[in-house]
Amino acid sequence: MYLLAKSDVPRFLSALSARFEMYGPQVHPVSGDVFFDKAADSSSIRLDAPIPANSPKFAVFPHWERILSYAYDRETKDLRIVPEDLVRPKALVGIRSCDLTGLLCFDRFFLGQEFVDEFYRAHRRRMFLVSVTCVSPFAQCFCVCTDSGPAAREGYDVNLTDLGEAYLFEAGSDAGRELAASLSLPPAGPDAGRRRDEVIDRSISRFEAAAVENKAWISRAVNRLTTGFVKNETWEYIGQQCFECGACSFVCPSCSCFNIEDVNRRDGTTERLRTWDSCSFEGYARMAGEHNPRRPVEDRRNKRFFCKLSFSQSKKYLRPGCVGCGRCVRVCPGDIGMANVVTAIRREITGK
Amino acid sequence: MDKRKNAAAVAVPVPAVLTEIRDEIEDVKTFYFRFEDPELERSFSIRSGQFVMCTVFGAGEFAVSLPWSPEKDRRHLSVRNVGKVTSALHALGVGDKIGLRGPFGNGFPFEEMAGRNLIYVAGGIGLIPLRSSIFHALLHREKFGRIILLYGAKSSKELMYRPLIDEWRRTEGFETYVTIDREEPGWTGEVGFVHTLIEKAKVPVDGTTAFVCGPPVMFNAVIGELSRRGLKDECIISTLERHMKCGIGKCQHCAIGRTLVCTDGPVYTYRQIKTLGETI
Repeated sequence: MYLLAKSDVPRFLSALSARFEMYGPQVHPVSGDVFFDKAADSSSIRLDAPIPANSPKFAVFPHWERILSYAYDRETKDLRIVPEDLVRPKALVGIRSCDLTGLLCFDRFFLGQEFVDEFYRAHRRRMFLVSVTCVSPFAQCFCVCTDSGPAAREGYDVNLTDLGEAYLFEAGSDAGRELAASLSLPPAGPDAGRRRDEVIDRSISRFEAAAVENKAWISRAVNRLTTGFVKNETWEYIGQQCFECGACSFVCPSCSCFNIEDVNRRDGTTERLRTWDSCSFEGYARMAGEHNPRRPVEDRRNKRFFCKLSFSQSKKYLRPGCVGCGRCVRVCPGDIGMANVVTAIRREITGK
Repeated sequence: MDKRKNAAAVAVPVPAVLTEIRDEIEDVKTFYFRFEDPELERSFSIRSGQFVMCTVFGAGEFAVSLPWSPEKDRRHLSVRNVGKVTSALHALGVGDKIGLRGPFGNGFPFEEMAGRNLIYVAGGIGLIPLRSSIFHALLHREKFGRIILLYGAKSSKELMYRPLIDEWRRTEGFETYVTIDREEPGWTGEVGFVHTLIEKAKVPVDGTTAFVCGPPVMFNAVIGELSRRGLKDECIISTLERHMKCGIGKCQHCAIGRTLVCTDGPVYTYRQIKTLGETI
């Protein structure tokens, strides 16, 4: 463990920016909103900013991405297929433990199943991850219930914890240790671990009581969803509330459904684009010939929560897909973010 | 079932040239092709029941079942003109190029079927995904008990692979029954829905595996009749169809219950289908 003086943060960021494309939390100059975004200049990254409105997943799984382009001339039968040549190494700086956990879910899902997703691997290769211990949870946050925060335990190259005058710099990989050495960071004192734990305890005490109390109910929801014992009326209620806007999927750090579409350009070439998709959209499962096995909205809602919490999906992530970031709670216009779905399942069990 | 990876092309489609196009029935054509790469043309191997992702350049990509026999056949796809991409495919001619990724999916579990009676029940273009499996069964005739095909379509004009079916009728050791929904001038064969053939063919129940593929209404009627006769759910096999984008278990469009049709399927037993909790 090392200490990174706050006055040294710019030096730390610029050392990274020499080798990586920089991504981090930035505060919008007019609205004051915080977004996780690519930073042209590393000095615009704010490690002490509140939790970004979006998850950093777009850095490994872009909103839209060209995965292939081709040109086919029907006259000459000439065909040229050009695979996309990806990608500059990136550093994601200042990601919260919830978002880091989402990224680890992605790793297991995209890299660890029967097939490897080459496009994901291209983004993820040589990536440098700097997580920060979260000291300012939002009212909607519940990572303490999903075992994914407020401090990261694995998967980072560097984890930073705010100790007041300096950050505690914990290296989680050889790349992280090399960076500490190259910056000549001073070692942290013997009480650093204790002080870090105090910061984490203080952060946990800031979570709303409701978030902490829900912990047991998330386990019950996992159980009910896995065994299929959630009543149809509950899904119907959730379906009635759903606006089918897809916002929950788009802000979710572990949602990774995508669509693939071939788009013709004016110069005669075609781009194969991979874009974000959401299981809440009516056309999601629709086949050619208008056969749609999943037309009713409650069928589709049921799918999303099954995906986030059921045991069979958790086997792919090696943990539940929900990382407790609370963003779906914040963005849902129908008020059926994860917390309220768990509450609906609780009501079904207890009648209250 | 064998989950061995045998996909020759996972992310980038490999080019193939259309060598012959045949009209099968209204809106359905068969496209014969060869791979541009001679090495792939030699080595491309499939298991009966798998599928490929087929790119029509400039239009997009769709999932399609494989009708050809891996042992003795020309490679081809039989496709109905039903949407944006398939209509673009139908507009192509001999010499045009398509792209293929795959093969993907599990395939039919033949290793579990030695000594069993094989009953193929198909409706309309549901014969296409079963074709390859029928070839396999006939090529290894001695390994199985009775082999029966029950095939039905709305009308004689909608019967797939007519010359092949005539050949099958003459094949010894292969009981072929064909029916159409309503009487037609000139039609001397069976009339009625395909599940009524189960009675006519005196389909055995003991030691029998049934392969069922067709539209949902036909599927449910056939399953109902087979179950009523005492065929167990795990002895009924079908191959499912879903909207797919990637074919490799990532895009999740083909999720049914806890499975993905592309990597866990497309071949399921009816016992599995019942636990998936979604309509067919």
